[in-house]
Amino acid sequence: MSLFEIKNCKKQFDGNPVIDGISFKVDEGEVVAIIGSSGSGKTTLLRICTFLEYMNDGEMSYLGKKVVTSENGIAKYIGQNKLSIDAMNNNKELTKIKNYFGLVFQNFNLFPHWTVLKNIIDAPISVEKRNKEVVIDRAMYYLKKMGIENKAYNYPCELSGGQQQRVAIARALCMEPKIIYFDEPTSALDPELTQEVLRVIKELANEKRTMVIVTHEMNFARDVADRVIFVDNGVIVEEGNAKEVISNPKMERTKKFLQKYED
Amino acid sequence: MNNIVDIIFRVLNGAGASSIIFFSTIIFSLPLGLLITFAKMSKIKVISYFASFLISILRGTPLMLQLFMWYYGPYYLFHVSFGLKWRLPAIIIGFSINYAAYFAEIFRSGIESIPVGQYEASSVLGYTNVQTFTKIIFPQMVKRVIPPVTNEIITLVKDTSLAFAITYTEMFTVAKQIAASKTTIIPLLVAGIFYYIFNDIVAFVMSKIEKSFNYYK
Repeated sequence: MSLFEIKNCKKQFDGNPVIDGISFKVDEGEVVAIIGSSGSGKTTLLRICTFLEYMNDGEMSYLGKKVVTSENGIAKYIGQNKLSIDAMNNNKELTKIKNYFGLVFQNFNLFPHWTVLKNIIDAPISVEKRNKEVVIDRAMYYLKKMGIENKAYNYPCELSGGQQQRVAIARALCMEPKIIYFDEPTSALDPELTQEVLRVIKELANEKRTMVIVTHEMNFARDVADRVIFVDNGVIVEEGNAKEVISNPKMERTKKFLQKYED
Repeated sequence: MNNIVDIIFRVLNGAGASSIIFFSTIIFSLPLGLLITFAKMSKIKVISYFASFLISILRGTPLMLQLFMWYYGPYYLFHVSFGLKWRLPAIIIGFSINYAAYFAEIFRSGIESIPVGQYEASSVLGYTNVQTFTKIIFPQMVKRVIPPVTNEIITLVKDTSLAFAITYTEMFTVAKQIAASKTTIIPLLVAGIFYYIFNDIVAFVMSKIEKSFNYYK
């Protein structure tokens, strides 16, 4: 059974198709990299997977549980009749499913008025109702893993971009998700900070964490991902073993895209 | 000399009444303003339009006129008269509702200035809409609205003198009465100094509050 599966996903913005029938699966312990040029639809795809955006048609399931089904060519989310972000935010069924995944944003999106520790522990305590002491222990464990346990009582504004992103990763980890999504996690960072963030993601990959990473870092994708999906114009153009696709692309479109990264 | 001390004490007496208007307005208009913000941001069109209409009336007509309406309105509309004891409640209602409209727009702009990423991070972590507002959006909004709210509060200190229009004896009314009876402008100067001092205190307190939020950006 796959942890996550999406089938024939379609998304339009004002009638313009942004995603035009994408299907893929993520198995346990797998690291999947999604690559493609800006505007190809890869970020929208990730937003659909994390319920920040709804799909217009298609199917989706987490751990075999159907979250979205297709009814007469229109997506139907469990526990709601209307396709709207508002309905999704108020949907208790979807909130339960949110336990299965975490998302790391391009711009970190830490809560600036809370300390690093509070950023990490608040949701496990007030959303998942877990024991406070246990959660603090876990949070400190993850902060240590991220190499920033000495920043627990600092505010996000006192941290570098790379440190903020590592807090965001710790925040996602502390929810103990089955899958972690990364939306261009290093695009807002300079090359040096990029390396420190990529290093911790690589460590997570070595631990066999299931991850889906939207990225522009081709070397990183080749080294860390098991599988790569190349998206263009809202469809999957090519997918397969990361090393093979990135070193030896078969499709013309993929070759052209990857050539831009060679220098 | 005795004369001036006497004037100062009498004007100061009126300052008590001004303070009542000031503090009552703060206490009622801030939460009421938030309520109007919610109404205006409501997804239900009727409620949102009604809030917009209310705000446009309250901001678009003179506060003095609104005070007249609240004070004389019950008599002219329903032929009920509460007499003079209705004067202070009418003033407090008039001020609170008027200031609530201004605060509502300040709060709305504050809420809308919070980056959408805050809502998204909150949504992915599983917070409900209510938790997102109370834990994440509202505290950040408060920090952002303090400077414009300070502006309104300083205006309010001076606006309390409008209660003079319905002859409520607050500081300005007292000063004007003494000025008229003794044909001197000194009471008005004294009142002016008191308004200034009051506002200096307000500005000081608000800057302290603003600084207390400086621990984050």
